[in-house]
Amino acid sequence: MLRLSELQESARIAVDSLRVNLLRSILTTAGIVVGVVLVVLMGWTIGGLNAVWEQTIAIIGKDMLYIDKWDWTGGRNWRQIDARKDISLDQAMQLKSRMESAEYVIPLARKWGGSVVKGNTSLMCSITGTTADYANTSAATTLDGRFFSPTEEQSASRVVVIGHGVYKSLYPEGNAVGNILKINGSPFRIIGVLQKQGFLFMDFIDNQVFIPMMAFRAVHGFFDRSFSVGLKCGSEAMLDIVRTEAIGHMRAIRNVPPDADDDFSINEMKAFDQQAKNIRIGIWVVGMGLTILAFIVGSIGIMNIMYVSVTERTKEIGIRKAIGARRSSILAQFLIESALLCMAGALIAFPIAQGIVAGARFLAVDVLEQEWASVISPLIPLDLLGIAVAVSVVVGLLAGLLPALRASRLDPVEALRYEQ
Amino acid sequence: MSKAIIDIENLVKRYEMGDEEVYALRDVSLTIGSNEYLAIMGPSGSGKSTLMNMLGCLDTPTSGKYLFNGANVAEMDDDDLASIRNKEIGFVFQTFNLLPRATSLKNVELPLVYAGVSAEERTRRAMEALARVQLSDRVSHKPNELSGGQRQRVAIARAIVTAPSIILADEPTGNLDTKTGHDIMNLFSDLWKAGNTVILVTHEEDIAQHARRIIRLRDGRIESDTVNNNHA
Repeated sequence: MLRLSELQESARIAVDSLRVNLLRSILTTAGIVVGVVLVVLMGWTIGGLNAVWEQTIAIIGKDMLYIDKWDWTGGRNWRQIDARKDISLDQAMQLKSRMESAEYVIPLARKWGGSVVKGNTSLMCSITGTTADYANTSAATTLDGRFFSPTEEQSASRVVVIGHGVYKSLYPEGNAVGNILKINGSPFRIIGVLQKQGFLFMDFIDNQVFIPMMAFRAVHGFFDRSFSVGLKCGSEAMLDIVRTEAIGHMRAIRNVPPDADDDFSINEMKAFDQQAKNIRIGIWVVGMGLTILAFIVGSIGIMNIMYVSVTERTKEIGIRKAIGARRSSILAQFLIESALLCMAGALIAFPIAQGIVAGARFLAVDVLEQEWASVISPLIPLDLLGIAVAVSVVVGLLAGLLPALRASRLDPVEALRYEQ
Repeated sequence: MSKAIIDIENLVKRYEMGDEEVYALRDVSLTIGSNEYLAIMGPSGSGKSTLMNMLGCLDTPTSGKYLFNGANVAEMDDDDLASIRNKEIGFVFQTFNLLPRATSLKNVELPLVYAGVSAEERTRRAMEALARVQLSDRVSHKPNELSGGQRQRVAIARAIVTAPSIILADEPTGNLDTKTGHDIMNLFSDLWKAGNTVILVTHEEDIAQHARRIIRLRDGRIESDTVNNNHA
């Protein structure tokens, strides 16, 4: 067993050795620095994505179910789904009158490949007709103005609430409310602008405009159209209850035989979880690959410099052995030196990684004005620092093992005879 | 002669250099008792360095018996040897072999570090040893701030700090001028008079004359083993 006094001596020698060869030590740790920076950046990026994803889901609504002819996960047989009968407005209204567990039942009519025209500028976006109840969903939160009222809905007023993407494209200078947009030739007055909701592959959510259901019929018609029904459940805990009730009503309304599958889908935001997960896995795989590569290169550098250190100190090892240092003392001395070297690399890496993180966030939020990025932490999480230090120490111990073993096994007679 | 510290019988050390076998020691038998003052002499190639390495437990014999305080050194592993070197043997080298970046005090403390002595006790004993070599005023100097004679005295303090059974000095005056060498030899005589066992390894006749017993080696064998009555 190593005695405490020996360990202290080993640590003292190691620190001393690093201090004497400061520049050499710093240069040697370059690979480790890169590795630790990558680990930390990867962890931060994944953490940031999670935060943004959580935010997106929260805004669009964790407590929302959407009954639709189409299935969001896209996993099922496309032909089978295409063969489903459209959901009519009448069926949607029947469901609304029967549902008891949902807070709001909101019929939706969508034209995906629609467009809005501002003066001479035309913008592709989806047009959604809905009821005033939509105003009660978290997705209807406005940045400016308001959602349309029940009165406007019932009178089929030509008013429009535009998504954040449409707003940014057509009114980059702001002040959209009060302006007129033409939808299929009819003028609509902008009364509200929605807040930013989606990011990455969910961007399309912001590229849509909302108009009263009857105004939708006037401009795009209901012919050959399948309606969706949004169900606001009130809380995540209610999702299952509302889903079960909705399935029962929908099967009854659409006369689905008891032994047949549902001829509709119940969609929710969770459907997109898998895609978000895939992105995270992608970042993780690429990040880990780069990190491992950097650590391999880094540990070769460390091993090399440790061999140099052992050779340089052959005489010293001989002296120490002559006066009673055992193999384990010498081994510990060089392992500690190597581990400290890597830890120093980790310590150098932290401010660099923090700088990159702060810079990236500043760029996204303040320069590119991507407000959604503001939920991403500007600081490296502490547990990542702990992991990075632990990993670098392990790498140091592994890289230093062979040189330290060689030092510990030096023949004292030979070592004492060694002259530089 | 009092109780034997070192008891060597038919010691052989053979090196293999390629296909050739080289005998550094052939059949050496030797007993060294407590509080002896012994010089091992011989020209280069006589095997005296090899014998010193054996006596100092830095190396193990090819065959033969080596008892150190009754323990069989030939059968010991590396860590046992390290422990014997640490507790029982104090080395003094021709080139001093101090750690260049450590102060006198730290250098003298080093054997106690490997013996697991507490920091406080280490400092106390190292200060004591430095006082015995009259270097109390140089404790925080590093080797490059000391003269050759002072460095060798630090090395002697390091050798005696663990109160070893033997002090083993290999050409201790080889790198010193005559006057300083004389002072160092007086120090060894003082240590011997204080009860220590001192073994000198040298090729210089006038250095060997300080000892009370002189062993002469030639071609790996003991040529003569005499009591020195006209010591310096």
